[in-house]
Amino acid sequence: MKTVNQRAWFFVLPVLLLVAFNALVPLMTVVNYSVQETFGDNLFFWHGVGWFEDVLRSERFHAALGRQLLFTFLILIIEVPLGVAIALAMPRKGFWVPVCLVLMALPLLIPWNVVGAMWNIFTLPDIGLAGYTLNEVLGINYNMTQSPLAAWITIIVMDVWHWTSLVVLLAYAGLISIPDAYYQAAKIDGASNWSVFRYIQLPKMKRVLTIAILLRFMDSFNIYTEVFVLTGGGPGNSTTLLSIDLVKTALGQFDLGPAAAMSLIYFLVTLLVSWVFYTVMTKDEP
Amino acid sequence: MRWTIALSLMAGPAWAQQAGWGNVGKAQEEKGFSWTDPMFSGFWMAWTPATLAFFVFIFAAIAVMGLLEWRRPGGAPRDGILGLATTRGDRLFIWLLGSAYIFLAWLGLVGTPLWVPLGLAIAWGAFCFWKV
Repeated sequence: MKTVNQRAWFFVLPVLLLVAFNALVPLMTVVNYSVQETFGDNLFFWHGVGWFEDVLRSERFHAALGRQLLFTFLILIIEVPLGVAIALAMPRKGFWVPVCLVLMALPLLIPWNVVGAMWNIFTLPDIGLAGYTLNEVLGINYNMTQSPLAAWITIIVMDVWHWTSLVVLLAYAGLISIPDAYYQAAKIDGASNWSVFRYIQLPKMKRVLTIAILLRFMDSFNIYTEVFVLTGGGPGNSTTLLSIDLVKTALGQFDLGPAAAMSLIYFLVTLLVSWVFYTVMTKDEP
Repeated sequence: MRWTIALSLMAGPAWAQQAGWGNVGKAQEEKGFSWTDPMFSGFWMAWTPATLAFFVFIFAAIAVMGLLEWRRPGGAPRDGILGLATTRGDRLFIWLLGSAYIFLAWLGLVGTPLWVPLGLAIAWGAFCFWKV
Protein backbone atom coordinates (compact mmCIF):
# COMPACT_ATOMS: atom_id res chain seq x y z
CA MET A 1 0.00 0.00 0.00
CA LYS A 2 1.20 3.48 -0.84
CA THR A 3 2.01 5.65 2.15
CA VAL A 4 0.91 9.22 1.75
CA ASN A 5 2.66 11.83 3.86
CA GLN A 6 0.01 13.99 5.47
CA ARG A 7 2.47 16.12 7.43
CA ALA A 8 1.87 19.09 5.10
CA TRP A 9 -1.44 19.69 6.87
CA PHE A 10 0.44 20.99 9.90
CA PHE A 11 1.65 23.90 7.79
CA VAL A 12 -1.97 24.96 7.39
CA LEU A 13 -2.39 25.17 11.14
CA PRO A 14 -1.24 28.82 11.63
CA VAL A 15 -3.68 30.01 8.98
CA LEU A 16 -6.43 27.95 10.57
CA LEU A 17 -5.77 29.60 13.93
CA LEU A 18 -5.70 33.05 12.35
CA VAL A 19 -8.99 32.44 10.55
CA ALA A 20 -10.48 31.06 13.76
CA PHE A 21 -9.77 34.29 15.55
CA ASN A 22 -10.56 36.83 12.83
CA ALA A 23 -13.53 35.07 11.24
CA LEU A 24 -14.90 32.10 13.15
CA VAL A 25 -15.09 33.60 16.64
CA PRO A 26 -16.75 36.83 15.39
CA LEU A 27 -19.16 34.81 13.26
CA MET A 28 -20.15 32.63 16.21
CA THR A 29 -20.61 35.76 18.31
CA VAL A 30 -22.87 37.24 15.64
CA VAL A 31 -24.98 34.09 15.68
CA ASN A 32 -25.26 34.38 19.46
CA TYR A 33 -26.23 38.05 19.26
CA SER A 34 -28.81 37.44 16.55
CA VAL A 35 -31.12 35.56 18.92
CA GLN A 36 -30.71 37.86 21.92
CA GLU A 37 -31.40 41.42 23.01
CA THR A 38 -28.90 43.57 24.85
CA PHE A 39 -28.91 47.03 26.38
CA GLY A 40 -25.15 47.05 26.87
CA ASP A 41 -22.94 45.95 29.74
CA ASN A 42 -22.74 42.42 28.27
CA LEU A 43 -26.18 41.56 29.63
CA PHE A 44 -28.18 39.49 27.17
CA PHE A 45 -31.80 38.44 27.05
CA TRP A 46 -33.19 35.68 24.86
CA HIS A 47 -35.28 36.91 21.94
CA GLY A 48 -35.54 33.81 19.74
CA VAL A 49 -35.86 34.27 16.00
CA GLY A 50 -37.77 37.55 16.35
CA TRP A 51 -34.98 39.69 14.89
CA PHE A 52 -34.86 37.57 11.76
CA GLU A 53 -38.61 37.92 11.36
CA ASP A 54 -38.37 41.71 11.82
CA VAL A 55 -35.48 42.13 9.42
CA LEU A 56 -36.96 39.90 6.71
CA ARG A 57 -40.19 41.88 6.79
CA SER A 58 -38.74 45.37 7.17
CA GLU A 59 -39.17 47.83 4.30
CA ARG A 60 -35.86 49.40 5.21
CA PHE A 61 -33.99 46.12 4.75
CA HIS A 62 -35.73 45.39 1.44
CA ALA A 63 -34.83 48.84 0.16
CA ALA A 64 -31.18 48.56 1.22
CA LEU A 65 -30.91 45.07 -0.27
CA GLY A 66 -32.46 46.33 -3.52
CA ARG A 67 -29.98 49.20 -3.73
CA GLN A 68 -27.13 46.81 -2.99
CA LEU A 69 -28.18 44.39 -5.73
CA LEU A 70 -28.61 47.24 -8.22
CA PHE A 71 -25.18 48.62 -7.35
CA THR A 72 -23.46 45.24 -7.74
CA PHE A 73 -25.32 44.53 -10.99
CA LEU A 74 -24.31 47.88 -12.52
CA ILE A 75 -20.71 47.47 -11.36
CA LEU A 76 -20.41 44.03 -12.92
CA ILE A 77 -21.98 44.86 -16.29
CA ILE A 78 -19.73 47.92 -16.63
CA GLU A 79 -16.43 46.74 -15.17
CA VAL A 80 -16.15 43.27 -16.67
CA PRO A 81 -16.62 44.17 -20.38
CA LEU A 82 -14.63 47.37 -19.93
CA GLY A 83 -11.82 45.50 -18.19
CA VAL A 84 -11.66 42.90 -20.95
CA ALA A 85 -11.69 45.61 -23.63
CA ILE A 86 -8.81 47.49 -21.99
CA ALA A 87 -6.84 44.27 -21.52
CA LEU A 88 -7.29 43.49 -25.24
CA ALA A 89 -6.10 46.97 -26.17
CA MET A 90 -2.99 46.79 -24.00
CA PRO A 91 0.37 46.05 -25.71
CA ARG A 92 1.71 42.51 -25.29
CA LYS A 93 5.42 43.32 -25.56
CA GLY A 94 7.79 46.25 -25.60
CA PHE A 95 8.39 49.44 -23.67
CA TRP A 96 4.74 50.27 -22.98
CA VAL A 97 3.91 47.04 -21.14
CA PRO A 98 5.33 48.04 -17.74
CA VAL A 99 4.03 51.59 -18.16
CA CYS A 100 0.48 50.32 -18.77
CA LEU A 101 0.70 47.81 -15.93
CA VAL A 102 1.87 50.41 -13.41
CA LEU A 103 -0.80 52.90 -14.56
CA MET A 104 -3.42 50.18 -14.20
CA ALA A 105 -2.19 49.17 -10.76
CA LEU A 106 -2.21 52.74 -9.39
CA PRO A 107 -5.91 52.99 -8.41
CA LEU A 108 -5.68 49.62 -6.67
CA LEU A 109 -2.94 50.94 -4.39
CA ILE A 110 -5.03 53.76 -2.97
CA PRO A 111 -6.77 53.06 0.35
CA TRP A 112 -10.56 52.95 0.24
CA ASN A 113 -11.19 55.91 2.50
CA VAL A 114 -8.77 58.02 0.46
CA VAL A 115 -10.63 57.07 -2.73
CA GLY A 116 -13.88 58.20 -1.12
CA ALA A 117 -12.39 61.47 0.10
CA MET A 118 -10.70 62.13 -3.26
CA TRP A 119 -13.91 61.67 -5.19
CA ASN A 120 -15.85 63.69 -2.67
CA ILE A 121 -13.60 66.71 -3.16
CA PHE A 122 -13.35 66.05 -6.89
CA THR A 123 -17.13 66.06 -7.42
CA LEU A 124 -18.34 68.72 -4.97
CA PRO A 125 -20.32 71.17 -7.13
CA ASP A 126 -18.83 74.36 -5.70
CA ILE A 127 -15.13 73.51 -5.22
CA GLY A 128 -14.52 70.17 -6.96
CA LEU A 129 -12.81 70.09 -10.33
CA ALA A 130 -15.39 67.79 -11.92
CA GLY A 131 -18.34 69.30 -10.05
CA TYR A 132 -17.39 72.88 -10.88
CA THR A 133 -16.61 72.09 -14.52
CA LEU A 134 -19.91 70.29 -15.06
CA ASN A 135 -21.99 73.00 -13.40
CA GLU A 136 -20.27 76.23 -14.28
CA VAL A 137 -18.45 75.48 -17.53
CA LEU A 138 -20.65 72.93 -19.24
CA GLY A 139 -23.87 74.13 -17.63
CA ILE A 140 -25.03 70.64 -16.58
CA ASN A 141 -26.95 70.65 -13.32
CA TYR A 142 -24.96 68.12 -11.34
CA ASN A 143 -25.01 67.98 -7.54
CA MET A 144 -24.27 64.67 -5.90
CA THR A 145 -25.11 66.04 -2.46
CA GLN A 146 -28.69 66.80 -3.51
CA SER A 147 -29.72 64.64 -6.43
CA PRO A 148 -29.94 60.85 -5.93
CA LEU A 149 -29.24 60.23 -9.61
CA ALA A 150 -26.05 62.32 -9.51
CA ALA A 151 -24.99 60.52 -6.32
CA TRP A 152 -25.54 57.14 -7.97
CA ILE A 153 -23.62 58.15 -11.09
CA THR A 154 -20.78 59.37 -8.87
CA ILE A 155 -20.48 56.19 -6.80
CA ILE A 156 -20.65 54.02 -9.94
CA VAL A 157 -17.98 56.07 -11.73
CA MET A 158 -15.83 56.02 -8.61
CA ASP A 159 -16.04 52.25 -8.31
CA VAL A 160 -15.35 51.80 -12.02
CA TRP A 161 -12.31 54.04 -11.67
CA HIS A 162 -11.09 52.16 -8.60
CA TRP A 163 -11.72 48.55 -9.54
CA THR A 164 -11.79 48.10 -13.33
CA SER A 165 -8.00 47.74 -13.10
CA LEU A 166 -8.41 44.51 -11.20
CA VAL A 167 -10.42 43.01 -14.05
CA VAL A 168 -7.90 44.43 -16.54
CA LEU A 169 -4.90 42.90 -14.77
CA LEU A 170 -6.56 39.50 -14.39
CA ALA A 171 -7.82 39.47 -17.98
CA TYR A 172 -4.39 40.59 -19.21
CA ALA A 173 -2.74 37.74 -17.28
CA GLY A 174 -5.15 35.36 -19.00
CA LEU A 175 -4.42 36.88 -22.42
CA ILE A 176 -0.63 36.74 -22.28
CA SER A 177 -0.74 33.08 -21.22
CA ILE A 178 -2.25 32.13 -24.62
CA PRO A 179 0.52 30.56 -26.76
CA ASP A 180 1.28 32.20 -30.13
CA ALA A 181 0.40 28.96 -31.90
CA TYR A 182 -3.30 29.63 -31.37
CA TYR A 183 -3.07 33.01 -33.08
CA GLN A 184 -1.00 31.58 -35.93
CA ALA A 185 -3.56 28.83 -36.48
CA ALA A 186 -6.35 31.40 -36.47
CA LYS A 187 -4.45 33.52 -39.00
CA ILE A 188 -4.00 30.54 -41.33
CA ASP A 189 -7.73 29.83 -41.11
CA GLY A 190 -8.43 33.47 -41.90
CA ALA A 191 -10.36 34.02 -38.69
CA SER A 192 -11.78 37.48 -38.04
CA ASN A 193 -10.87 39.48 -34.96
CA TRP A 194 -14.24 38.64 -33.49
CA SER A 195 -13.76 34.87 -34.03
CA VAL A 196 -10.30 35.07 -32.46
CA PHE A 197 -11.86 36.77 -29.44
CA ARG A 198 -14.88 34.49 -29.27
CA TYR A 199 -13.18 31.12 -29.81
CA ILE A 200 -9.63 31.62 -28.53
CA GLN A 201 -9.27 34.55 -26.16
CA LEU A 202 -12.57 34.34 -24.29
CA PRO A 203 -12.39 30.58 -23.56
CA LYS A 204 -8.77 30.97 -22.46
CA MET A 205 -9.73 33.85 -20.15
CA LYS A 206 -12.68 31.98 -18.63
CA ARG A 207 -10.81 30.92 -15.52
CA VAL A 208 -9.37 34.33 -14.66
CA LEU A 209 -12.66 36.03 -15.52
CA THR A 210 -14.47 33.69 -13.12
CA ILE A 211 -12.12 34.82 -10.39
CA ALA A 212 -12.45 38.46 -11.46
CA ILE A 213 -16.26 38.37 -11.42
CA LEU A 214 -16.31 36.55 -8.08
CA LEU A 215 -13.92 39.07 -6.51
CA ARG A 216 -15.81 42.02 -7.96
CA PHE A 217 -19.13 40.57 -6.85
CA MET A 218 -18.00 39.99 -3.27
CA ASP A 219 -16.14 43.29 -2.98
CA SER A 220 -18.94 45.39 -4.45
CA PHE A 221 -21.59 43.53 -2.47
CA ASN A 222 -19.67 44.28 0.74
CA ILE A 223 -18.63 47.83 -0.22
CA TYR A 224 -18.71 50.28 2.66
CA THR A 225 -15.88 52.76 3.07
CA GLU A 226 -15.80 54.47 -0.33
CA VAL A 227 -19.53 55.11 -0.53
CA PHE A 228 -19.72 56.07 3.12
CA VAL A 229 -16.97 58.65 2.77
CA LEU A 230 -18.29 59.96 -0.55
CA THR A 231 -22.02 60.33 0.13
CA GLY A 232 -22.56 59.08 3.68
CA GLY A 233 -25.52 57.09 2.31
CA GLY A 234 -27.31 60.19 1.09
CA PRO A 235 -28.94 62.27 -0.17
CA GLY A 236 -31.70 60.94 2.04
CA ASN A 237 -31.22 57.20 1.97
CA SER A 238 -30.63 56.96 -1.75
CA THR A 239 -27.11 55.50 -1.55
CA THR A 240 -27.53 53.68 1.77
CA LEU A 241 -26.24 50.30 0.65
CA LEU A 242 -26.67 47.19 2.78
CA SER A 243 -23.36 47.56 4.60
CA ILE A 244 -24.01 51.23 5.41
CA ASP A 245 -27.45 50.36 6.74
CA LEU A 246 -25.93 47.55 8.77
CA VAL A 247 -23.37 49.82 10.40
CA LYS A 248 -26.11 52.39 11.13
CA THR A 249 -28.13 49.69 12.87
CA ALA A 250 -25.22 48.15 14.76
CA LEU A 251 -23.17 51.17 15.79
CA GLY A 252 -25.48 54.14 15.25
CA GLN A 253 -28.53 52.73 16.98
CA PHE A 254 -26.64 50.02 18.91
CA ASP A 255 -29.31 47.47 17.95
CA LEU A 256 -26.93 44.54 18.09
CA GLY A 257 -29.65 41.89 17.77
CA PRO A 258 -31.27 43.16 14.54
CA ALA A 259 -27.84 44.04 13.15
CA ALA A 260 -26.60 40.51 13.84
CA ALA A 261 -29.66 38.98 12.17
CA MET A 262 -29.16 41.34 9.23
CA SER A 263 -25.49 40.46 8.84
CA LEU A 264 -26.28 36.74 8.88
CA ILE A 265 -28.85 37.20 6.10
CA TYR A 266 -26.29 39.36 4.25
CA PHE A 267 -23.66 36.63 4.71
CA LEU A 268 -26.04 33.93 3.44
CA VAL A 269 -26.88 35.96 0.31
CA THR A 270 -23.16 36.43 -0.46
CA LEU A 271 -22.47 32.76 0.21
CA LEU A 272 -25.32 31.55 -2.04
CA VAL A 273 -24.51 33.82 -4.97
CA SER A 274 -20.78 33.02 -4.79
CA TRP A 275 -21.47 29.30 -4.56
CA VAL A 276 -23.98 29.24 -7.42
CA PHE A 277 -21.71 31.33 -9.61
CA TYR A 278 -18.61 29.26 -8.89
CA THR A 279 -20.49 26.00 -9.37
CA VAL A 280 -21.98 27.08 -12.69
CA MET A 281 -18.68 28.45 -14.01
CA THR A 282 -16.62 25.36 -13.09
CA LYS A 283 -19.28 22.76 -13.85
CA ASP A 284 -17.78 21.47 -17.08
CA GLU A 285 -14.26 21.22 -15.76
CA PRO A 286 -12.95 17.83 -14.66
CA MET B 1 -59.58 59.83 57.01
CA ARG B 2 -55.92 60.38 57.78
CA TRP B 3 -55.59 56.75 58.77
CA THR B 4 -57.15 55.60 55.51
CA ILE B 5 -54.62 57.57 53.50
CA ALA B 6 -51.75 56.36 55.68
CA LEU B 7 -52.90 52.77 55.35
CA SER B 8 -53.27 52.99 51.60
CA LEU B 9 -49.83 54.55 51.34
CA MET B 10 -48.45 51.62 53.29
CA ALA B 11 -50.33 49.18 51.10
CA GLY B 12 -48.67 50.68 48.02
CA PRO B 13 -45.11 49.59 48.78
CA ALA B 14 -46.38 46.26 50.08
CA TRP B 15 -48.11 45.64 46.76
CA ALA B 16 -45.03 46.73 44.83
CA GLN B 17 -42.91 44.41 46.93
CA GLN B 18 -45.25 41.56 46.13
CA ALA B 19 -45.15 42.40 42.41
CA GLY B 20 -41.37 42.04 42.52
CA TRP B 21 -40.35 45.69 42.32
CA GLY B 22 -37.84 45.21 45.09
CA ASN B 23 -36.03 42.49 43.19
CA VAL B 24 -34.17 44.97 41.00
CA GLY B 25 -30.43 44.54 41.24
CA LYS B 26 -30.66 41.40 43.38
CA ALA B 27 -29.28 38.07 42.31
CA GLN B 28 -31.92 35.91 40.70
CA GLU B 29 -32.87 32.62 42.26
CA GLU B 30 -31.66 29.39 40.74
CA LYS B 31 -34.40 28.13 38.52
CA GLY B 32 -32.72 25.14 36.91
CA PHE B 33 -31.44 24.54 33.40
CA SER B 34 -32.82 26.57 30.52
CA TRP B 35 -31.76 26.35 26.88
CA THR B 36 -32.07 30.09 26.47
CA ASP B 37 -30.34 31.51 29.55
CA PRO B 38 -26.87 33.06 29.30
CA MET B 39 -24.17 30.47 30.02
CA PHE B 40 -21.32 32.69 31.15
CA SER B 41 -22.85 35.81 32.61
CA GLY B 42 -21.15 39.01 31.43
CA PHE B 43 -19.07 37.31 28.72
CA TRP B 44 -19.15 39.24 25.44
CA MET B 45 -19.64 36.21 23.22
CA ALA B 46 -23.05 35.74 24.85
CA TRP B 47 -23.26 31.95 24.66
CA THR B 48 -26.52 30.20 25.38
CA PRO B 49 -26.99 26.42 25.45
CA ALA B 50 -29.20 26.70 22.35
CA THR B 51 -26.60 28.48 20.20
CA LEU B 52 -23.84 26.26 21.59
CA ALA B 53 -25.86 23.20 20.56
CA PHE B 54 -26.19 24.69 17.07
CA PHE B 55 -22.41 25.02 16.70
CA VAL B 56 -21.77 21.61 18.29
CA PHE B 57 -24.05 20.19 15.59
CA ILE B 58 -22.20 22.01 12.78
CA PHE B 59 -18.75 21.02 14.02
CA ALA B 60 -19.92 17.45 14.69
CA ALA B 61 -21.18 17.24 11.10
CA ILE B 62 -17.77 18.42 9.83
CA ALA B 63 -16.04 15.94 12.16
CA VAL B 64 -18.22 13.11 10.83
CA MET B 65 -17.21 14.13 7.31
CA GLY B 66 -13.57 13.94 8.45
CA LEU B 67 -14.05 10.49 9.98
CA LEU B 68 -15.81 9.20 6.88
CA GLU B 69 -13.02 10.59 4.71
CA TRP B 70 -10.50 8.80 6.91
CA ARG B 71 -12.34 5.46 6.74
CA ARG B 72 -13.39 5.73 3.08
CA PRO B 73 -11.19 8.27 1.27
CA GLY B 74 -12.26 9.92 -1.97
CA GLY B 75 -15.38 11.72 -0.78
CA ALA B 76 -17.83 9.32 -2.49
CA PRO B 77 -18.15 11.45 -5.66
CA ARG B 78 -21.15 11.05 -7.95
CA ASP B 79 -23.22 12.93 -10.49
CA GLY B 80 -26.33 14.05 -8.69
CA ILE B 81 -29.72 14.84 -10.15
CA LEU B 82 -29.07 18.59 -10.03
CA GLY B 83 -26.49 18.01 -12.75
CA LEU B 84 -23.62 18.59 -10.32
CA ALA B 85 -20.73 16.32 -9.51
CA THR B 86 -20.77 16.28 -5.70
CA THR B 87 -18.77 14.73 -2.90
CA ARG B 88 -20.31 14.10 0.49
CA GLY B 89 -18.85 17.36 1.77
CA ASP B 90 -20.62 19.22 -1.06
CA ARG B 91 -23.86 17.47 -0.14
CA LEU B 92 -23.49 18.57 3.49
CA PHE B 93 -22.85 22.15 2.36
CA ILE B 94 -25.86 22.14 0.01
CA TRP B 95 -28.02 20.70 2.78
CA LEU B 96 -26.97 23.31 5.36
CA LEU B 97 -27.18 26.27 2.98
CA GLY B 98 -30.55 25.09 1.66
CA SER B 99 -31.85 24.61 5.20
CA ALA B 100 -30.82 28.14 6.16
CA TYR B 101 -32.87 29.45 3.23
CA ILE B 102 -35.83 27.20 4.09
CA PHE B 103 -35.91 28.68 7.61
CA LEU B 104 -35.44 32.25 6.38
CA ALA B 105 -38.16 31.88 3.74
CA TRP B 106 -40.58 30.46 6.31
CA LEU B 107 -39.78 33.22 8.80
CA GLY B 108 -40.25 35.91 6.18
CA LEU B 109 -43.41 34.53 4.61
CA VAL B 110 -45.17 32.71 7.47
CA GLY B 111 -43.45 33.28 10.83
CA THR B 112 -43.12 31.18 13.95
CA PRO B 113 -43.36 28.34 15.03
CA LEU B 114 -40.67 26.65 13.00
CA TRP B 115 -41.67 22.99 13.17
CA VAL B 116 -42.76 22.83 9.52
CA PRO B 117 -39.50 24.26 8.12
CA LEU B 118 -37.59 21.96 10.50
CA GLY B 119 -39.36 19.02 8.88
CA LEU B 120 -38.70 20.48 5.43
CA ALA B 121 -35.01 20.97 6.26
CA ILE B 122 -34.66 17.37 7.44
CA ALA B 123 -36.43 16.16 4.31
CA TRP B 124 -34.13 18.36 2.20
CA GLY B 125 -31.13 16.81 4.01
CA ALA B 126 -32.35 13.29 3.28
CA PHE B 127 -32.87 14.28 -0.36
CA CYS B 128 -29.38 15.84 -0.55
CA PHE B 129 -27.58 12.75 0.76
CA TRP B 130 -29.77 10.41 -1.27
CA LYS B 131 -29.96 12.03 -4.71
CA VAL B 132 -27.92 15.24 -5.06
